[in-house]
Amino acid sequence: MSLFKARDWWSTTLGEKEEFDQGCLCVADIDNSGSGQDKITVGSYMGYLRIFNPHPVKPGDGMKAEDLLLEVQLRDPILQVEVGKFVSGTELLHLAVLHCRKLCVYAVSGTLGNVEHGNQYQIRLMYEHNLQRTACNMTYGPFGGVKVGLSWTTETTMSNKEGGQKLKTRDRQQRQGRDLICIQSMDGMLMLFEQESYAFGRFLPGFLLPGPLTYSSRTDSFITVSSCQQVESYKYQVLAFATDADERNETEQQKLSSGKRLVMDWVLNIGEQALDVCVVSFNQTSSVFVLGERNFFCLKDNGQIRFMKKLDCSPSCFLPYCSVSEGTINTLVGNHNNMLHVYQDVTLKWATQLPHIPVAVKVGNLQDLKGVIVTLSDSGHLQCSYLGTDPSLFQAPKVESREINYEELDQEMKELQKIIKESTKTQDILPKSEKDCDDLRITAEVSSDLDAISQAIDSEVRAEAVPSVTVKITLQSRLAVQKTKLSICVQPPLALTRDQFIFDLESCGSKAVALSVFLKGNYPPAELEGNVVASYSTPTDLNPEGIPRVAQCKFRLPLRLICFPAQPSKTANHKLTIDTNKPPVSLVNLFPDFADQSDEDQVNVLGFQLLTGSRITLLASKTSQRYRIQSEQLEDLWLITKELIFRLEEHFKKQNSKDFTCIFSGSVPLQEYFELIDHHFELRMNAEKYEELLSERAIQFRAIERRLLIRFKDKTPAPLQHLDTLLEGTYRQIIALADAAEENQANMFQAFTKLKSATQLVIMLISLWQKLSTDQVAILEATFLPLMQDTQELGWEESVDAAISHLLRTCLSKSSKEQALTLSSQLSIPKDTSRLKKHITLLCDRLAKGGRLCLTVDTNIQQTMVMPGVCTPIPESDLEERTAIQGSTTMFTNHRHLIKQKSKTDLPQGALEETEKP
Amino acid sequence: TGLEMEPLLQAWSCFRRRKFQLCPDLCSQLLEKSPGHQEPDSEFTVSQAAWILKTRALTEMVYVDEIDVDQEGIAEMMLDENAIAQVARPGTSLKLPGTSHGGGPTPAVRPVTQSGRPITGFVRPSTQSGRPGTMEQAIRTPRTAHTARPITSASGRYVRLGTASMLTNPEGPFINLSRLNLAKYAQKPKLAKALFEYIFHHENDVKNVNLRSTVAHIGEYPFTLFTSKSIYKNALDLAALATEHAQYKDWWWKVQIGKCYYRLGLYREAEKQFKSALKQQDMVDTILYLAKVYFRLDQPLTALHLFKQGLDRFPGEVTLLCGIARIYEEMNNIPLAAEYYREVLKQDNTHVEAIACIGSNHFYSDQPEIALRFYRTRRLLQMGVYNCQLFNNLGLCCFYAQQYDMTLTSLERALSLAENEEEAADVWYNLGHVAVGIGDLNLAYQCFKLTLANNNDHAEAYNNLAVLEMRRGHVEQARALLQTASSLAPHMYEPHFNFAALSDQVGDLQRSYIAAQKSKEAFPDHVDTQQLIKQLKQHFAML
Repeated sequence: MSLFKARDWWSTTLGEKEEFDQGCLCVADIDNSGSGQDKITVGSYMGYLRIFNPHPVKPGDGMKAEDLLLEVQLRDPILQVEVGKFVSGTELLHLAVLHCRKLCVYAVSGTLGNVEHGNQYQIRLMYEHNLQRTACNMTYGPFGGVKVGLSWTTETTMSNKEGGQKLKTRDRQQRQGRDLICIQSMDGMLMLFEQESYAFGRFLPGFLLPGPLTYSSRTDSFITVSSCQQVESYKYQVLAFATDADERNETEQQKLSSGKRLVMDWVLNIGEQALDVCVVSFNQTSSVFVLGERNFFCLKDNGQIRFMKKLDCSPSCFLPYCSVSEGTINTLVGNHNNMLHVYQDVTLKWATQLPHIPVAVKVGNLQDLKGVIVTLSDSGHLQCSYLGTDPSLFQAPKVESREINYEELDQEMKELQKIIKESTKTQDILPKSEKDCDDLRITAEVSSDLDAISQAIDSEVRAEAVPSVTVKITLQSRLAVQKTKLSICVQPPLALTRDQFIFDLESCGSKAVALSVFLKGNYPPAELEGNVVASYSTPTDLNPEGIPRVAQCKFRLPLRLICFPAQPSKTANHKLTIDTNKPPVSLVNLFPDFADQSDEDQVNVLGFQLLTGSRITLLASKTSQRYRIQSEQLEDLWLITKELIFRLEEHFKKQNSKDFTCIFSGSVPLQEYFELIDHHFELRMNAEKYEELLSERAIQFRAIERRLLIRFKDKTPAPLQHLDTLLEGTYRQIIALADAAEENQANMFQAFTKLKSATQLVIMLISLWQKLSTDQVAILEATFLPLMQDTQELGWEESVDAAISHLLRTCLSKSSKEQALTLSSQLSIPKDTSRLKKHITLLCDRLAKGGRLCLTVDTNIQQTMVMPGVCTPIPESDLEERTAIQGSTTMFTNHRHLIKQKSKTDLPQGALEETEKP
Repeated sequence: TGLEMEPLLQAWSCFRRRKFQLCPDLCSQLLEKSPGHQEPDSEFTVSQAAWILKTRALTEMVYVDEIDVDQEGIAEMMLDENAIAQVARPGTSLKLPGTSHGGGPTPAVRPVTQSGRPITGFVRPSTQSGRPGTMEQAIRTPRTAHTARPITSASGRYVRLGTASMLTNPEGPFINLSRLNLAKYAQKPKLAKALFEYIFHHENDVKNVNLRSTVAHIGEYPFTLFTSKSIYKNALDLAALATEHAQYKDWWWKVQIGKCYYRLGLYREAEKQFKSALKQQDMVDTILYLAKVYFRLDQPLTALHLFKQGLDRFPGEVTLLCGIARIYEEMNNIPLAAEYYREVLKQDNTHVEAIACIGSNHFYSDQPEIALRFYRTRRLLQMGVYNCQLFNNLGLCCFYAQQYDMTLTSLERALSLAENEEEAADVWYNLGHVAVGIGDLNLAYQCFKLTLANNNDHAEAYNNLAVLEMRRGHVEQARALLQTASSLAPHMYEPHFNFAALSDQVGDLQRSYIAAQKSKEAFPDHVDTQQLIKQLKQHFAML
């Protein structure tokens, strides 16, 4: 991250799809022009050698033809280019080019033409060496020559490849003006070349992969970083003296390995691999800089760390370039975030953005501009830049930056507020419009016969044949609708063969699907109805994606699906009598699908047997207008009763008599109903107990695990002391408990279905008894059947109790005192059902005494129902000091901090707090 | 032409330039050509070199600096028997941050997190989860607002990293650990080091297992607390053999052993190793690892001491300074933390964390102009940090620094940059605040509603909506909203206090008292709460 961008002074792209690496860049006065101006030499892996002398007219110019002094295609890939005094007998600078198997030294010279663009540059090969091994990198320097201090001469005999002359002792001064080259090969050999001749080769000990190589003239040693993550220094003398003093052929010497193992001068374990090593000496001190993969180090001559800096981004190249203030050294470090950092020792002095990841960085004098930063990317982008403070602001995608016109905004706000207010006035969320009904229409048709071949699969009913019935659903749409989703739902124990369809509809098209319904669970259902819902979106002007809409319809399933005719039974526990005000209808006419048609005389008795086994008998009185339904169990009466009344009403409607009513004059079977409630409640309590037991077992399990873990971590092995047996045992217990809990849950669901049936029966009886209007029946239904199924937090008993209490307090209250009572209980599972039963009885009483059910929004009454709580956590162990929180609500952590990279700053917001003055 | 003639050189060059997809492929080609590619044996062979290069490239692909990684899972927390004292003296433990050392804003001004510490300006991995007290709480604490699953175990993440890297090698893992002879490798340091890093970072393969426990891991739920950590046992074995071979003179192996112990949860042993490594060779990384261990052992003072010693040796090292600042922040000593962050900035002007923390410090100390400087003119915006959070903060600073022209544009930009609904919700929330500030309560109402539309669990928005509803006279609505707010964020004192005040107003003194107590727990120094409680007590005494 930086405020600033490196200012582009001159840049160019080299070739196409060429590759470059660290050694490919060199900045020096290669043509010995003497002007002090540097030229940029670049060699690529494709073999192209280019020399530039940038002359931008103004900063930021691209390359012009005159800037490229020379471009040569050498056959082999160029690994490294260096400029130094590589030719004997002269102090001019020459260019050394390292190929994979060759080292070439060239002289670059230019002849001035009459005009500037007439200048010509040539390169001339001075000498070359063929290498027996693949080269990796090289370094150069006045090996063996010492600038100040001890002097030494050596007797070495070298053979010149061309001539065979023998050159004798060199003396110190001459050596100083010469640069020798040392090449590291991929298999770890250091090959030293004394300019035109090969000197010797040595294998680095313990070599695996090449690391960076450099030469320190102050200590006359080579420094490299090996695969063991160590910085190693080898003195030149040690390298030289390790040779055998026989004169072998150059090529043979290169092939064979030398005798003695090399001894390092010093070694430092830096703990990581290194990218580059550089030796700098300023002000009498010489330091070794090592750029590791994550840190960069500055070492003294003897290998001790002077300072180190941990870098926060992977570096790609570096260059210690000068000392600005006494005792410190400035370093340029490029990294893979396209940044160039300038460090003074460890302090970051400047950071600037580059347009690329630099693999090589140099500093040079170009066109009288000192200190130009030259960077090369690995794809061939060469840039000369200078540091500047013009901040390069992000070119961010602009939001429509318009001036804020406050009057316009105010006007818009007022309009929007009006719309919001209007839409919140109406209670309905969905705007009812007539047009909707026509957009998509669903009709569901249940076939009158059962399926010839039953479609029932996986039914748990223990009967020989489980019938199924086909339901055909037709959709008609006025518009073209995409992706309509059709869902069909029936309550368990009923099941469907398929419950979801997705298709597209064309305009004014229709589509029909068919599916089958059958009884799956082994207990009678509470209702024989199903629901079809189609959801789709209609595009509007404002919203082309469409506003979601829904169309629904219901269907009724035939009684034959779940029961078949059987012998009527004489005795029964539960009996109900329904009175009617019309003459009795023959049961044959009412239930043609159950009665035998052969019996001509009026049939008064019909027997039904549910698939699940229970029997119900229906008796019609010949004389009075009564019907009796009886059965062993209360809940089984419901379906038959409902069917009876339904069919009676249909019958009389067909006969156009409008005032048919049923009456129930008996007593509502509350006691039996309460038994069902008790049974259901008992199962709920069991579920709670199982949950507690499971928690306890889980805690026990974890405690044993903890002990085991401590045992394992122990240094001295100790016997397990049967902890594993305990673990196994607890595990089995948990599984058994879980199984039992599951079974209990299945039972509970069955019981709930029975309870629902019975509840609906009771509601119907109450409504018949008190002749309640449909509104009041609706209220009763809402009161007694608020849930589809019990959940952990909310169960049937307490919801119904709350609802009934509300009714008792509002519309059925006897006195105003009751109205003022505020109920402060939470909706939690009660200890027993006595209160509920009391309230139900009271409700029936009040209704009998003439109370009328209605729901009015009464603002005087304050309802405070607190949200249900959950099970309290059991304290894990005695180590924890927290006590169990009483009936608290669950804790949710509100993570407002966002998870991203480290550049995140989320300012949390102060909370608004208003205090009420008492 | 290029380097195709010299594949090893090409691979090496790719590795240097961090082209970690290309390098292993080149190495694989090399290895295919030479026989015996699995078990390199002799001194130097091309296959050995290629093997090492490929190993290192595969490692670097998934390398994560150990120092940064630190998400404690439930399992680690519950099994933590390293706690020394059950009740730590104040100011010496990170679990009990202790009272703020003065000079920092109170929770009235600066919001607090779940664990009771003030919100910092920067998110770090370890500050994500609070430290729940009981296992039950831990299970119920969801990782984020959007998932109900808690963070079960930290090694789960390592497993996923490992399996992701398996995808690069369709024919199976590059190195088959079960077939390796670790002792042989331990004797070859150059191979061993690369192999070790490979095992440690790359091969997080749970199947390659040598479990000593027989307990299975049931899904991700912490019915059990074991996770298979034996992969680190393999790495540990190699490191132990290697360090023996090096005659205990190689500090690098000690550090690696320390890292293995750390991952295995054996913090005391890790401490020993790191200390021994430090004695041999001072390295910044070793200091940072050791500090992490002290952090886990809940010894912040020791970690501080270590950092300061490290600074003597490496003066000006940014990571050490930053570490000190973080510790002070965790211990609730905001002024000292700010001081150290400033030191960091002296060393490294571009350090984003320091800038963010100082900026937010200034904001909450009522110096929004300076905060603005930090966020905008001086630093972050122009450095290229361009995201929703920055503009959100900018907008707020502008507003409080009374630079109203910038406020709306910044917040608008923040909205356009919001990457998910949570961020958008926060921006809308702040807009609501701005609206309240200018007195447009209708706008504020809409803004808070939009906050809730984007993030259903935004407790602060619930609270503020409740206040607005109260102003409109909808007492019941206000109550319901306050209850939601207090159940979503029980550590915030505002909903509790407001609920207490509201109940008091309608005369429900019992409820008022209970809520006031909760408010006091969250923020003991709140004057209004104290007054309310006093009043209620008087009332009760009269009855």
